[in-house]
Amino acid sequence: MNQISLNPRLRTDITFPKWNGLKSYAVGSALFSSTIIMLILGTLLIQSHPALFANDLNLLSEVWDPAGGQYGIIPMIFGTLIIMSIAMIIALPLGVLSAIYIAETRSDRLKHILKSSLEVLAGIPSIVYGLIGVAYLSIWVAEGFELQTGRVILTAGLLLALMILPTIMTLSEDAISSVPRAYRENAASLGLYHYEIIKDIVLPAAKADIAGAALLALGRALGETMAVMLVIGSLDRLPSPLFNVLASSQTITSKLGREIAESAFGSTHFSVLVLMSLILVAFTLILTIAAQKLFTKDPHNA
Amino acid sequence: MLSRTVKNTLFASALRIALFISLAILIFLIGAILLEGFKALSPSFIVSEARDFGAAGGIRYQLLGSLILIIVAAVLVVPFALGTALYRSEYVTSEKLGRCIDLTIFSLNGIPSITYGLFGLIVFVNILGMGVSWLIGSILLAIMILPTVTVSTHQAMRAIPNIYRESALALGLTRAEMVRKVILPQSLHGLVTGLLIGLARAIGETAPIMFVATAFSGVTWPQSIYEPVSTLPTHILALAQQATNPDALRNAWGASLSLIIIVMILSGLAFIARRKLEPQRSM
Repeated sequence: MNQISLNPRLRTDITFPKWNGLKSYAVGSALFSSTIIMLILGTLLIQSHPALFANDLNLLSEVWDPAGGQYGIIPMIFGTLIIMSIAMIIALPLGVLSAIYIAETRSDRLKHILKSSLEVLAGIPSIVYGLIGVAYLSIWVAEGFELQTGRVILTAGLLLALMILPTIMTLSEDAISSVPRAYRENAASLGLYHYEIIKDIVLPAAKADIAGAALLALGRALGETMAVMLVIGSLDRLPSPLFNVLASSQTITSKLGREIAESAFGSTHFSVLVLMSLILVAFTLILTIAAQKLFTKDPHNA
Repeated sequence: MLSRTVKNTLFASALRIALFISLAILIFLIGAILLEGFKALSPSFIVSEARDFGAAGGIRYQLLGSLILIIVAAVLVVPFALGTALYRSEYVTSEKLGRCIDLTIFSLNGIPSITYGLFGLIVFVNILGMGVSWLIGSILLAIMILPTVTVSTHQAMRAIPNIYRESALALGLTRAEMVRKVILPQSLHGLVTGLLIGLARAIGETAPIMFVATAFSGVTWPQSIYEPVSTLPTHILALAQQATNPDALRNAWGASLSLIIIVMILSGLAFIARRKLEPQRSM
């Protein structure tokens, strides 16, 4: 925009004030808001420094024993990955298939009811999901598999699947609905079956957005703390055998939730926890940014 | 090879089964929360104090604590979100710089909530030596919802047709007057809606506040900014950890339903705000 020299009250001003109070305020806020993320990352980096540069912590071992100076973070990383995998294996096909049904249904009432209940579910705080995990899921898993405790990997994976299902359903439904009608009509007029229209026309067109939805859900699952912490059993060991999903485990987030308050600020223990948090942030940021890129690549939004 | 008809039928049944399972899950989740919640919820549950570590009594101070946290978070976030959106919409001249600001603010959205708690513990509790204080909780929640409020406000500002700005300037208003008289009133709905959506999310958060701002029992109305409060989410956490006690579990459901009702009220207000405050433009 051009300089505002048309203001009659300022006509006598020789130097028009470029920096007025309002602009300073706007610039100041923008500067402050943009620096917060650096401040957070910087703080985490500085505090994890001792753990990164100590030699004898065995960070990549499988043993977590702060009293014995062993700080292996592999069990937590494994726990995080396996729980995310279980959640995705269940929620992704279920969510996408349901989304196809909702998007293709002709019943507006069903669509409306489903979409509004999904919105309600998206607003439920994660601690309430944790309560559902404690009061129902963990008990069902314990009874179903005759375990002493239901606080195991499978329970946490199932609970996470419940939590990310609404996200996947809503976003996939949007993606599928946004595929132009003409595509379907043309395909149908060529004699393709419904199944073939979905598989060969609709899903390829909505692929980027569905992938974006999956990444966003994955990011949410990765950072989820409260619900997982309540049903994971908090055992800092690799399950044996490795893929025994009926064993208790630990994720990065549940570890942080359980131990941050107990470890002394400035200790090696604390520093290793900060390092784990930094790894977590790195992963979630990558997922979030990748999801964003996928969404913007979509030709229908452009 | 299956014939095309068979494949089509199989696919149709797979869709039906998936929808059926998803529906069962939705009904189970909503049903469990409502049925269990209403067993505990009553007017006296809301106004009476928690006793016996939460197993008896109600949620009076937890409710108040949660409200203090989000009201102060709202007061903290509004000036920064408004200023940032204003800068982004009215002052940024280079598209590159604009996108850079978007990225830094958007990244805040990707940070796991537990990391905010850790950050608050390091900076405010330990380095600045504030101790466990409800104000830290409000600050962290304000940072968490900053992207939501900023983006919503910015979108509303961007939607104002340029002719409004040009007309204002042509009438002799300064840039500052134009912002005050045209941009702010025309984008108010974005700020209010974003804020309410942000608060609906903030009030349910546990991880950012549990190390830095809350205490479980024996907390009433805070006398200074250096005191903890008790909140609904941390109360539910504490009760869920004594889930073998049926009384504690019942009150946990009651507190959960109360929390969800507040979330619904805030989301509903956001919906109304968008409809009522959005200016009707005939462009």
